[in-house]
Amino acid sequence: MLRLVLIRLASFVPTLFVASVILFVAVNVVPGSAARSALGIQATPQAIMRFEHLHGLDRPMALQYVEWAAKALVGDFGKSFQNAVAVGPEIRKRVPVTLELAAIAFVVAIFISVPLGALAGFCHQRGADVVVTTLATLFGSTPSFWLATLLIYGFALQLGWLPTGGYTAFSLDPIANIKGMLMPCIALGIVSSGLLIRIMRTAVIEVMAANFIETARSKGVSNFRLVTAHVLRNAMIPFLTVGAVEFGFLVGSVVIIEDVFRIPGVGSLVLVGIINRDYPVLLAAAMSITVIVLIINLLVDLAAQMIDPRQVRTGH
Amino acid sequence: MLMTDFNWRRYGLVAGTAPVVVIILVTAGLAPLIVPYSPYDLDVMVMLQGPTASHLMGTDELGRDVLSRVIHAARLSITVGLVAVLIGSFCGTIVGIIAAHFGGLVDAILMRFMDIVFCFPAILLAVILMANLGTSILNAMLAIGIIFIPGFARLTRAVAQTVQRQSFLEAAICLGMPGYRIVFREILPNVIGPVLVEAAVAFSYAVLLESALSFLGLGAQPPEPSWGNMINTGRGFIDQAPWISLAPGAALFFTVFSFNLLGDGLRDVLDPKLND
Repeated sequence: MLRLVLIRLASFVPTLFVASVILFVAVNVVPGSAARSALGIQATPQAIMRFEHLHGLDRPMALQYVEWAAKALVGDFGKSFQNAVAVGPEIRKRVPVTLELAAIAFVVAIFISVPLGALAGFCHQRGADVVVTTLATLFGSTPSFWLATLLIYGFALQLGWLPTGGYTAFSLDPIANIKGMLMPCIALGIVSSGLLIRIMRTAVIEVMAANFIETARSKGVSNFRLVTAHVLRNAMIPFLTVGAVEFGFLVGSVVIIEDVFRIPGVGSLVLVGIINRDYPVLLAAAMSITVIVLIINLLVDLAAQMIDPRQVRTGH
Repeated sequence: MLMTDFNWRRYGLVAGTAPVVVIILVTAGLAPLIVPYSPYDLDVMVMLQGPTASHLMGTDELGRDVLSRVIHAARLSITVGLVAVLIGSFCGTIVGIIAAHFGGLVDAILMRFMDIVFCFPAILLAVILMANLGTSILNAMLAIGIIFIPGFARLTRAVAQTVQRQSFLEAAICLGMPGYRIVFREILPNVIGPVLVEAAVAFSYAVLLESALSFLGLGAQPPEPSWGNMINTGRGFIDQAPWISLAPGAALFFTVFSFNLLGDGLRDVLDPKLND
């Protein structure tokens, strides 16, 4: 057991390294554009050179990467090109906001997808299955930003029940925090549940076909116990492992939803970084989203190893 | 053929969705011929008017006909989707086949790299690529296409590995068939089916991504109509003129939904378990 955990933990380091290299290259792939946008189109070549020299942009990319990575590891993401403010503290302020949004949205998605997916799985190739599968496709086809626009139109502008956007910290005003989070989380949750319903359905169908279900049935296990103790428990493992990929997708969609609802998380910071061509900001925001996704994948893998009795047994 | 002979379970979904998809494609293809107005023509006399007989979906904040803009945007979205899926499936299939064919270290390195790219939230990668490549339709196609490569690579590799274990492939190798012929004659034909299903789903996702990029101002630039930038503009007028963002959103949703259903249908057709 411990060995498996250690192997998984060890594979995290190279993954993080490659991911950070990809991001660094993706952000820095066009030379000179940072200086030009920071200084304006009328900047002289000398001014651009001075700017690039000042920020170390004229050195080889590999060197720039090593320097950036070494600092980033201790939480120093450099200073913003725009206002010379340190990026690290800004990230630390915004990450919890994004995490709250993504976590609640994922919970919403699970609440939608587990019962619906299980229902479709139990009624495999019958009426309920067709209805749920179509519903899953419908949810998955909905553009989150359009759904968000519709929700704002209905619940904020027409009914006036919820704010159109903005963010209040939970510690300041819990009610206002939940009211502000409701629409973004529902928009994200519904869209993400499309794939999750399918994953749950497939997982249930596979477990239902397993021999131990037959055994449990012949032992006279009640239908209720069969579902709760045997089917759902075993279906949760593939559901969680594959679902983690969807959680990554959800964290990514945060970029758009945070923009629509004016939520000050790392997702909207990505856009701020892009609009201002502020590379330290963009890189730090994108990297923190990527790290969140990678850590979630890691945790889910570890959790799946804990739930799966077969892997526990090999450890003893 | 009698209706009762028709295998509804296997072909029903494709038979139902294919005509819808064809209508969407034809509408998009013939956009300049069928739109009632030019999508760029301003008419301040009819600004922010609701749906009427002359403007079926109303007009926007500059008096442009929303219906004409929605149809023109379809053309753009579908072009972006097609090109992006072509880039993704072409490169992905090559990577997948190389990985499966050579195996060993080549396979390990290629697929590990693909896994990491796959881990990235697609929209984040698209946004960053667009910011650097510059906001244009061509770059949107490229950015979205790159995102699809790992998915197609994984799929192709999985199928190719299954084919490689079949006895007919062993026979081909024993007969001394050269490597490239094995790839083109034995492996590729088997890969095409699953890749096609994946392509239908990827296409609808590409249309969604293009709209998301345009919504954020990183894709199609105004006045060029795109569903994404129309929804975004419409947000500012949603209280007075909700149709400006409702109409393109509905078109986007309907298109994505139709192509996803087609993907589901193609999967049914290729699924041997449903073959009665």
